[in-house]
Amino acid sequence: MTRTRIPLYGTLVLLLLAFLAPLLWALSGSFKPRGDIFAYPPRLLPDPFTLDNYQRLLSGQPFWRWFLMSTVVALVATTVSVFVCALAGYGFAKFRFAGRRLLFGVMFSSLSVPFAVILVPLFVILVKSGLGSPWFALIVPWVAPAFGIFMMQQYIVQSVPDSVLEAARIDGASEFGIFRTIVLPLLRPSLGALAVWQFLQSYNSFLWPLVLVSDSSQYTLPLGLQTLFVSEQRQYDLVLAGAVIAVVPAVALFVVLRKQLLEGLSTGAVKG
Amino acid sequence: MTTVVAGRARTADERTGDPGTAQRPRRTWAPYLFISPFYLLYVLFMLIPIAVSLWLSLTEWVGLGTPHWVGLRNYRNLLTDISFHRALGNTAVFVLVAVCVVVPLALLIAQALNTRGLRARDLWRTAYFVPIVVSPILVALIFGLLFDRQFGLINSILRALFGTGGVDWLGDPSLAKVSIALVMLWRWTGYLTVFFLAGLQNVPRELYEAAALDGAGRVRTFTTVTLPALKPVTAFVVVTSFIGAAQIFEEPYLLTGGGPAESTLSVTMFIYRAAFQRQQFGYAAAAAVVLFVLVFGLSQLFNRLLGIGRASA
Repeated sequence: MTRTRIPLYGTLVLLLLAFLAPLLWALSGSFKPRGDIFAYPPRLLPDPFTLDNYQRLLSGQPFWRWFLMSTVVALVATTVSVFVCALAGYGFAKFRFAGRRLLFGVMFSSLSVPFAVILVPLFVILVKSGLGSPWFALIVPWVAPAFGIFMMQQYIVQSVPDSVLEAARIDGASEFGIFRTIVLPLLRPSLGALAVWQFLQSYNSFLWPLVLVSDSSQYTLPLGLQTLFVSEQRQYDLVLAGAVIAVVPAVALFVVLRKQLLEGLSTGAVKG
Repeated sequence: MTTVVAGRARTADERTGDPGTAQRPRRTWAPYLFISPFYLLYVLFMLIPIAVSLWLSLTEWVGLGTPHWVGLRNYRNLLTDISFHRALGNTAVFVLVAVCVVVPLALLIAQALNTRGLRARDLWRTAYFVPIVVSPILVALIFGLLFDRQFGLINSILRALFGTGGVDWLGDPSLAKVSIALVMLWRWTGYLTVFFLAGLQNVPRELYEAAALDGAGRVRTFTTVTLPALKPVTAFVVVTSFIGAAQIFEEPYLLTGGGPAESTLSVTMFIYRAAFQRQQFGYAAAAAVVLFVLVFGLSQLFNRLLGIGRASA
């Protein structure tokens, strides 16, 4: 029994290495002096071990400002979008109304619109109308992702019983009151999943900030690190340290909330 | 995408039964209010931009002053622009890699993770998912470290094992494509595995038991039980990875800059370059409209095909 499982576990371990070893290699590199990062033969454990990259990055670059920018933008976008998605998902899941199927189809088909199509016009519209500030443009256009609405709709169909809603209506509760006091609390697990997903989307987004943000004091983390990498003639030491710090919150958040996220993500695709 | 999902939403309603609302439709504004924030944002930040894109694509504009109407000239120029042809070809290669390599591999891994009595399933699933959580900038740095021509980890290992390294992973036109494909494989496989695994866990055990009683082998069980049951998930995963790969930007932009000799230039990079590095906003918009028609049209077609397959099953 156990012997027949050796190829299976062997394969799984090899895959684990393939997926995680590159990350470990980057982590190890961030503790090496510039000259050692590409040393031959390669060494996994840094020798000498140094924190110099981190110190120079944090003292010489506005790293924490980038970090703050990214985090605040992602948190605000996440909070708003979770609410908007839950609202729309509830509307689609629990009501019959004229045009429902069409509106749902329109919403869903927006998933197959490539971002590059709206990249240029959205940039032009926002800048020309004076709404090009990162606080507006990095947040507002992205708070109603169709994927999130679809996920919420699927979850609500499965987990919010109609009888509860009917009872509340008979008691004379308002529709919005029902949503706030009955539906939202029932949705807690999937709201968590959507929140992680949305936070990661916003925190890691690259192309839109690259196009939009020109003022270096408003750079997000990926943008700041990318600019630093280019200005340092593609030297890895500082940027690697920065990228490692930047990735820690994302990975930590994912690991803590992984169950909710992984199950929430697959709800829509599988059980519908 | 619409057809599959409209179908799915319908079945979901039928399953819950929902007698109260079905018999007595309430005349209320509530549902419209609930979905209105989405539609407001949708019109402002998707519909209007798409319309503006269509209009811009018929003009010549450097970003200042008024756009100058040129009719279909941008589209005619795209027809003969060798860079755009390369971008389309490269993007097609990336799409094929995603759909024909990444997706099947994810299915195989999910199949392995679905083995009954597997230990530490959560550990494997979580670890394989991590690459998609990582910021694209770190992904680019990591693969820069691995693929470096002189001192990259891969070449160092090759040199240690075979005494010869120096493979120009990012500098040779065909190898650069392979490198980008490897990055896609690393980033996307674990993500897609999660969907397949959830789908597999949803297949009723009785079906497998029935197949075993009929004396079906592993391969036959897979083709007669697993694959049909996975059709909805597969449709979702295929369309999602098609759409994702068709607009690939970060991997080539950060790792190769589209080079060497435009061998990794993607359509999205082409659009970015035309608009924001060359101030050809009209031309960029025309390329974007072409991408839109291809991606939107093909994903509808995929759905039609996968939907038909599903209805006849």
